[in-house]
Amino acid sequence: MTIDRHEPTPAIVAEGLRRTFHRGRGADRQVVEAVVGIDLVVGRGERVAFIGPNGAGKSTSIKMLTGILHPTAGSAAVLGHVPWTDRRRLTRRIGTLFGQRSQLWSELAPRSSFEMLAAIFGIGRRRLGDRIEELVELLDLGELIDQPVRTQSLGQRMRCELAATMLHEPDLLFLDEPTIGLDLLAKQRFREVLVRLNDELGVTVFLTSHDVADVEHVADRAVVVNHGRIIADAPVDDLRRSVLAVKRVRVGIEHGHAADPVLDLGLPGVLAEPISPSLVRFEVDTNQTPIRRVLDTVLAAVPVADLSVVDPPLEHVIADIYEQPR
Amino acid sequence: MRAPARAEGAIGWLGPTAAAARLGARRAGAQPGGLAFAAVFYLMVTSVLAGLWATAADAAGGDIVGYSAVALVWYIAASESAVLALPQRLIEDVGIDIDDGIEAELLRPTPLIVVRLAAEVGGMLPRLGACVAVGVVLARIIGGPAPDPAALAIAFPSLLLAVTVNLAAQYAFAGAAFWLRDVRSAWFLYQKLVFVLGGMLLPLEVLPRWLELTAKALPFSAMAYAPARLASGHLEPELLVIQSGWLAAAIVGTAAVYRAGERHQIRTGA
Repeated sequence: MTIDRHEPTPAIVAEGLRRTFHRGRGADRQVVEAVVGIDLVVGRGERVAFIGPNGAGKSTSIKMLTGILHPTAGSAAVLGHVPWTDRRRLTRRIGTLFGQRSQLWSELAPRSSFEMLAAIFGIGRRRLGDRIEELVELLDLGELIDQPVRTQSLGQRMRCELAATMLHEPDLLFLDEPTIGLDLLAKQRFREVLVRLNDELGVTVFLTSHDVADVEHVADRAVVVNHGRIIADAPVDDLRRSVLAVKRVRVGIEHGHAADPVLDLGLPGVLAEPISPSLVRFEVDTNQTPIRRVLDTVLAAVPVADLSVVDPPLEHVIADIYEQPR
Repeated sequence: MRAPARAEGAIGWLGPTAAAARLGARRAGAQPGGLAFAAVFYLMVTSVLAGLWATAADAAGGDIVGYSAVALVWYIAASESAVLALPQRLIEDVGIDIDDGIEAELLRPTPLIVVRLAAEVGGMLPRLGACVAVGVVLARIIGGPAPDPAALAIAFPSLLLAVTVNLAAQYAFAGAAFWLRDVRSAWFLYQKLVFVLGGMLLPLEVLPRWLELTAKALPFSAMAYAPARLASGHLEPELLVIQSGWLAAAIVGTAAVYRAGERHQIRTGA
């Protein structure tokens, strides 16, 4: 299937989507504005990361777009359906994964749960067999398909969960924090699988996350949300050139050696901050100096005991986006 | 190619219902330890209670409110089977599921209550089978042959009805979690109602007349008393009709609770 980004019906159209919640009772009653007004169009075949810190309104938005939460105001159409009035029909065309809430039965192998999901979605026995084979290959499930879920690692289980989500061949995947809690390797593998689903099957991917790496490795477009509003909506390549280009390098120096030689590396876009006498943190703008060059320079200057390269927390990325001229 | 849209409504739910029941049974079968534990627990409780009632009947001259010692042993064997075939904290477990979030289940073409009830019925069957097998042998050893084989024969479908009514009613109770969020303590109250007003611990005829009539008019009597009354040698097939009525009411009521609960959740997000 080829991706048609100019399909007449977009995957998602939201206009002025708003949701308030009432918390507490009596004098303590508060109105919480979870989503203040989301305007968004997602084309077919796009991979969109809907990112923001905790409490930004990501999950509330995804619940409204999947039809399990009624908005306070605004309108939306997902694959041409109004989600909250046409939820049952919409469920046949979307796949959803909410964090690590399982739709598989832990005591049984995924294949058994797939049989029940197939009955729910009206997939015949022969088609189910073919579909399982396709998904086993696509998601690299191998023998996991016949292993009780409770014996699987979280990363393995999440790939099986994704297969369950894909069983009825949805056009659009809503994934709410799917990588949360996964170790680095499992995250990487899960991201690769998502990209493959999009490339090979043309499935639109709408992913929420507060992990910057999910954005970089999965999405081709990032929508940044904070305090219930969209504060940035840009191709990931553009973000990468600006705020996502910043990486953090933590360097632990061997006992008995001073950090002084690395406090000023003389490299453009590199800021050093001593955390302790033997620990230094660098903020590196990779547009100006590649990480490799920073590491080479540090390793040549001091004996290194420990070293790590990490993305800055999403809060920092968002703060940077706020600071950028609009 | 996408799976074709299936018929909506009750007809379209038959496939998912059967599949969920099969899966529920397979899940129960995949936990032989759980089955064995249920059977041992049943054996302990039933031996003690049956022995107690048989002794009481002997002490009372061989008869308590029309039940002989043998009849009381069979009564307890059946009433305990009906109640212990279900997980004891089902209301609590379902309430926690609802409170934690059931988004994935809401995003399916088949209502969650249809799939859940079917899976529970499937899962209950192996447990009920284990309890009945132990119960028949135990009652035969402690009490002797069943007082009326014909009444015992219809006690088996009655047991199935009893457990299903109980299951649907527990789900309806647990559905309160859509509004109250925490229904953890409800299972305790519910169980006590089944124990006493359902006739699990004692034949309802033992209660004061006004309470006996009240208990017989409530759905709890369909959950334990009906199959126990039959197993104890009272050939009263009308009990099956009453149970079927309560089953229909329980299913309609439970479906209504979940429909309203889902609507509440979608409207309020609570």
